[in-house]
Amino acid sequence: MPDVPNLTRLERRDTDMKLTYFDGGEFTVTYDDLRHSCPCAKCAPLRNDDANSKTLRRQVEAFAPEKPQVRPVGKYALGFEWKNGCSSGIYRFERIWALANNQDPDNGKSYVHGAW
Amino acid sequence: MADSPVSTHNPNPAAPSDDASPQQQKQMESAYANMKRKMSMQEIGRKIKHKVMVLSGKGGVGKSTVATGLALSLAQEGHSVGILDIDITGPNVPKMMGLDRKRLHVEQGRIHPAQGHLGVKVISMAFLLEDEDTPVVWRGPIKLGAINQFIGDVEWGELDYLVIDFPPGTSDEPLTVAQSLPDIDGMVIVTTPQDVALLDSRKSITFSESLKVPVLGVVENMSGYTISGKTSPGNDIEIAGPGGKKHKTTADSDGNFNVTLDIFKQGGGKSTAEEFGVPFLGALPFDPGFVRGGDDGVHRIVSEPEGASAIAFAKVVEAIKSQIGSSKSQGLEII
Repeated sequence: MPDVPNLTRLERRDTDMKLTYFDGGEFTVTYDDLRHSCPCAKCAPLRNDDANSKTLRRQVEAFAPEKPQVRPVGKYALGFEWKNGCSSGIYRFERIWALANNQDPDNGKSYVHGAW
Repeated sequence: MADSPVSTHNPNPAAPSDDASPQQQKQMESAYANMKRKMSMQEIGRKIKHKVMVLSGKGGVGKSTVATGLALSLAQEGHSVGILDIDITGPNVPKMMGLDRKRLHVEQGRIHPAQGHLGVKVISMAFLLEDEDTPVVWRGPIKLGAINQFIGDVEWGELDYLVIDFPPGTSDEPLTVAQSLPDIDGMVIVTTPQDVALLDSRKSITFSESLKVPVLGVVENMSGYTISGKTSPGNDIEIAGPGGKKHKTTADSDGNFNVTLDIFKQGGGKSTAEEFGVPFLGALPFDPGFVRGGDDGVHRIVSEPEGASAIAFAKVVEAIKSQIGSSKSQGLEII
């Protein structure tokens, strides 16, 4: 698992969230990117296929802009609750860090159903 | 919830409208109960100062014995303590705490824990079974519902420490607790010194790293069995231990001698802790008194508070407290 600095602040803005890490680094993740990368068992397999992934992206972009409710999941992840669409994904901090750094949060791997 | 082992029915939940169908009414009641439970979980985070998970990779290493021992040792020091037995299919804590066949008291949808030795509060699946031979045959999601009820619907009151005893392994139970219970101080990994147990303990350490729950340390249980005897003063004694290993000692001026036999080897817990860079909390002796105490419902720490095992537990508790004291809180501000 990559060594990720501690996330100390998450500011929910209208269409994205601003993340501040313990080392002072500041990043932005759009809600569209966040929702498209949902790691839940229903959304994640859709990204295994380009056509389905694009469909998922269009669905996500079609949602009305909204700020999600953010809930900590233990000490290792965050959950995002939306009025519309999928709220099931548990986003490990490593995943959020990858999104913040414009990396593929799935590391190029196909979805395999796992413990989280 | 339909899958709940304990009824939390509230006669006036969020006043469902008269024209709602029975199914809608049930859904509303369920949503209301879930919302209340979530709020209660957050409150638990404030009311219970420290939460300690006790895990092991392998079964039979003495997790429940260690968990009850830690709880009683903390209570002996004057702390208010609770113990949550999350081992749904094999709940043993009530028997060890002298609470066999006790029932839980439920009032206004809140479960009140039973009180065992030294005022330790106990919640366990065992309290809900009609008889002790009834197996709990539940799949994961139902267990998850029960665990969430045990966390969110229990009236623990103000506690200094909540010790949580798990079944062996790294599956549903610790994962659910790590997700649901806020501000867990860390995990205590229990092992015995043999290689098979150590191998599984390594998995528990890696598991805790993956959940970002700190490892407070490793406890080596059943670490050496001390036998004592009396002979002529100054006599040289030779005893054949497990595996034919010879142990030599000399009786003191009163003729007393004692020898510690390594029933399951020794030192594996410490070396595993060093290998993974986590603290070693101490070793607990192999003590047949735990077996008798567990069966009789009088824990060794209660029956012999000044004994070698009680002293060993007190040392482990001190090490845990020092680890908890040194861990830094890393809060996340969400705005």
